[in-house]
Amino acid sequence: MKAHRKKKLSIILFIAVGLSIAIGLSLFALSNNIDLFYTPTQVAAGEVTPGQRIRVGGMVKEGTVEHNQDELEVSFITTDYSHDVQVLYTGILPDLFREGQGIVAEGMLTSAGVFQASRVLAKHDENYMSAEVRSALESAGVDSDGMSSGAY
Amino acid sequence: MWLWFSKLGSPRWFYELSGKWLPWLYAAMVVFMAVGLTWALLFVPADYQQGETIRIMYVHVPVASISLACFPLMAVAGTITLVWRMKLADMVAKCVAPIGAWFSGLALLSGAIWGEPIWGVWWTWDARLTSMLIQFFLFIGVIALRSAIESQDAAAKACAILAIVGAINVPIIKYSVEWWNTLHQPASRISMDPMAPNPPEIWVPLLIMIAGVYLFFIITLLLRTRNEILVRERRSKWVQDLVRKG
Repeated sequence: MKAHRKKKLSIILFIAVGLSIAIGLSLFALSNNIDLFYTPTQVAAGEVTPGQRIRVGGMVKEGTVEHNQDELEVSFITTDYSHDVQVLYTGILPDLFREGQGIVAEGMLTSAGVFQASRVLAKHDENYMSAEVRSALESAGVDSDGMSSGAY
Repeated sequence: MWLWFSKLGSPRWFYELSGKWLPWLYAAMVVFMAVGLTWALLFVPADYQQGETIRIMYVHVPVASISLACFPLMAVAGTITLVWRMKLADMVAKCVAPIGAWFSGLALLSGAIWGEPIWGVWWTWDARLTSMLIQFFLFIGVIALRSAIESQDAAAKACAILAIVGAINVPIIKYSVEWWNTLHQPASRISMDPMAPNPPEIWVPLLIMIAGVYLFFIITLLLRTRNEILVRERRSKWVQDLVRKG
């Protein structure tokens, strides 16, 4: 390779590597802002001020979903399996909402420590399989938690 | 190897060789697309969680993964333009930008159509979606930059630099779902076991679709580049002979 080409190539490499490091460091510094939601552990650690509009994400804890019979009011606990957050929501839930499902709730923490959601989104995990295989697995008694915990 | 490199840089040689490849590429694309689309739309079983909505994946994943290949390709072509001043590299860089913009746009659109029924929103500002939107704008930016600069050489250099800088976004898109918590799911691990998550009955047709869409991408890129060669070399003898021959 000729000398001037070598020089040009090294300048390009230098710029690319330098910029990557700069961008990498800024993204690392901003990672709390880039995260879409707070985990229940972060909420429990007091990282969230009551009244601040935030998102909380976790799994819907088994056996905690309570629907109000007359209104669209629902209450459930979202968990990351080390801490829990109680969520209250009035509105239509996504089709995928169910116990054991990953969800993201938008809203704010009340001073009582309950999360008042204005919108609930369902997360979809990275596992795909046919309904037949799934029901065959379930009838064979395979633990379903082992599969869906990857979603979170 | 250097002889091969400089030969590949010759637009005429590339024009003649790609003309020979195209019929085979067309044939392969038709086969892969026909098999892949039929399989994905008619024979893939409905998913246990999302039902028939899973079929959107067979378009979304191929277009998204190809859009991620476009920027590195443009950056490599840009580096060759800056360092070796190969004419053909800049033609490829120019032709890949609109294709990359289209594929990014289609990935965003098919993702939104999937997100509405599954997540409950068309759009959210999570890291994967936002970094993909940035890539879409970067492609538009590269196209705009090229048309804003009149001198072909200056435009080639400016676009090459923007392509190299913008390629830093590609690993960010790829790993966004691992570095940060997002609404978008992480990449799936495929399984050989038919009774496990992500079994062959789901990913084999996806691989066929990826191959088919890749062939479509290569064909589109070759056609655009051939067209660009004819435009830029219109004063050369071989192009004028070609035109006269009819």
